Amino acid sequence: MSEGALLVAERLTMRYGVVVALDDVDFTVPAGITGLLGENGAGKSTAMKLFLGLLRPTAGAVRVLGRDPARDVEVRGRLGYMPEHDCLPSQASAAEFLTHMAEVSGLPPRAARTRAADTLRHTGLFEERYRAMGGYSTGMKQRVKLAQALVHDPAFVFLDEPTAGLDPVGREEMLALVRKTHREFGISVLLSSHLMADVERTCDRIIVIRGGRLVQEGAVDAFTTESATVFIEVDSNRDAVEAALSRRGVAVTRDGARLVIEGADERVYDHVRDALVEAEAPLRRMAPRRRALTELFQREATRDEAVHA
Amino acid sequence: MSTGIAERAVTGGTVFDIGYRSYSGERQGRMRGRMAVFRNGVRTALGIGRSVRAKVLPWFFIVVLNVIALIMVLIAGAAERLGGPGAAEQMDLPSHVDYYGITAIMVFMFAALVAPELLCRDRRERTINLYLVRPLSGTDYVFSRYAAFLAVMLAAVWLPQIALFLGLLLDSPAPLQYLSAHWLDVPRFLAAGVVLALFTTGLAMLVASFTSRRAYASIFLVGVYVVTVPFTAGLSTELAGAAAQWLSMFHLPAIPVHVNDLIFGEVSELTEEAPARQLSASVRVGWYLLWTITPALILWRRYRRLSP
Repeated sequence: MSEGALLVAERLTMRYGVVVALDDVDFTVPAGITGLLGENGAGKSTAMKLFLGLLRPTAGAVRVLGRDPARDVEVRGRLGYMPEHDCLPSQASAAEFLTHMAEVSGLPPRAARTRAADTLRHTGLFEERYRAMGGYSTGMKQRVKLAQALVHDPAFVFLDEPTAGLDPVGREEMLALVRKTHREFGISVLLSSHLMADVERTCDRIIVIRGGRLVQEGAVDAFTTESATVFIEVDSNRDAVEAALSRRGVAVTRDGARLVIEGADERVYDHVRDALVEAEAPLRRMAPRRRALTELFQREATRDEAVHA
Repeated sequence: MSTGIAERAVTGGTVFDIGYRSYSGERQGRMRGRMAVFRNGVRTALGIGRSVRAKVLPWFFIVVLNVIALIMVLIAGAAERLGGPGAAEQMDLPSHVDYYGITAIMVFMFAALVAPELLCRDRRERTINLYLVRPLSGTDYVFSRYAAFLAVMLAAVWLPQIALFLGLLLDSPAPLQYLSAHWLDVPRFLAAGVVLALFTTGLAMLVASFTSRRAYASIFLVGVYVVTVPFTAGLSTELAGAAAQWLSMFHLPAIPVHVNDLIFGEVSELTEEAPARQLSASVRVGWYLLWTITPALILWRRYRRLSP
């Protein structure tokens, strides 16, 4: 078991009959915000259920906060879960519901009331707390769902597609709340999503699952830095620059009006300088471009297709 | 994690943002969770903290059950006044032994219409998923809900019997004499109330566990009572012998009343004509236990391994 890890999955396998939802998966989740990234049907929801102890794995083991959640129900008192789908009672008010959920998580009634009010304030619902939740907008419902996951002050919270159904502004606000959950509240987050942009902008680390298998695991920075690219824009003589770079052994491609150099290191910058001088091309712009996780995912998909072919 | 105090000056006052405060107090674990689900179940069943519409059904039945007891007190009082002391007893007016028989159908209707609210809504709105990811198992959840409705049923069936007892006691010209002659009725109606409440709770909760629509569960339960009561009562009078006895055992509201009769050692008005009365006490108790324990076990099995 890894020291200090909040969650450890060891050779985790889950089968439903002949369908393999997770296949011999190993990873650890440290404190911070970790993204569990995968397409629909990749095995994210099954993984979440295993982490919460709602399913028992076919093989392997999972430990959350050092305990087996399937055998030790009490550990869920320190875990939070925000489901993707609707789950709020339409007739209850947010204040009443959160107080109840805090009590169900083991908090005494008075503490539950205080925590409910505090959590609603932090999630921006304090003014609306006495209204029946049936009349809430999608954005407000998402906030209550996050609030109920945080109301008992968990050590670790699982968020399943927290931006589902939100408009761009609501999505930004939700992602800001997710970041705040760790950076201000000190609660670690495992965020499951199929939206790579959300994960890239919010998470410190990612775990990529594809077809029930672990594809990648590590810090988000490592993924994007690894594929660092330099793009160059010149006012004229672009063909001459391209030719000069090629003569110097630098692989260069075109992306619209730009010249793109893959995997650039320090020596490439010298070659670019020399090529620009040689081609007498006025440089308009030169900058490193960090690859989006989307491209990483596309690359994995292409690799898979090549293997299958 | 506290982020310190940020101070913002506002005209006429100061707002302090004390930031996020983590909880370091007591965590009471699974037992607190069970109690919270139980309390929420009682409030839901009675419509407490809900709209007026949610309160109408449960309180209508509770009032009607108590009005029936009040009418019984008034009739007994009138008999005493018109016929003299002891007249009510001589006229064999309905009393504690008969009360559950008289109100059995009303109690079943109450269970049919109110119990599904405790299980169906949680499943339809998927709130059940939030319970199951907390320190509660499916067994904890369903046991707490079952106990909540059982508590409401006990209150609903005991309260009128207590009112009836107090009414008859206060109406009696010699209350102490009445108390010494009838004090055993108290443990008897309490025990018979438990029998009736367990039976109706188990059946109603089991049916509610099969659908997420409260109306379907209620209609099914009311339909079962409405169909089986005249069917079994009518057909059993046409038949004779063991067939009639066993057929009348399917008269659902009468099943707990047979046990009620055994507890009181008397026959109530509902079961007086029932051929099932000829069956032995052990058969009637066994039949009651079968109809009480089986639904509870099936209900438990359905929720034991439930996951979102």
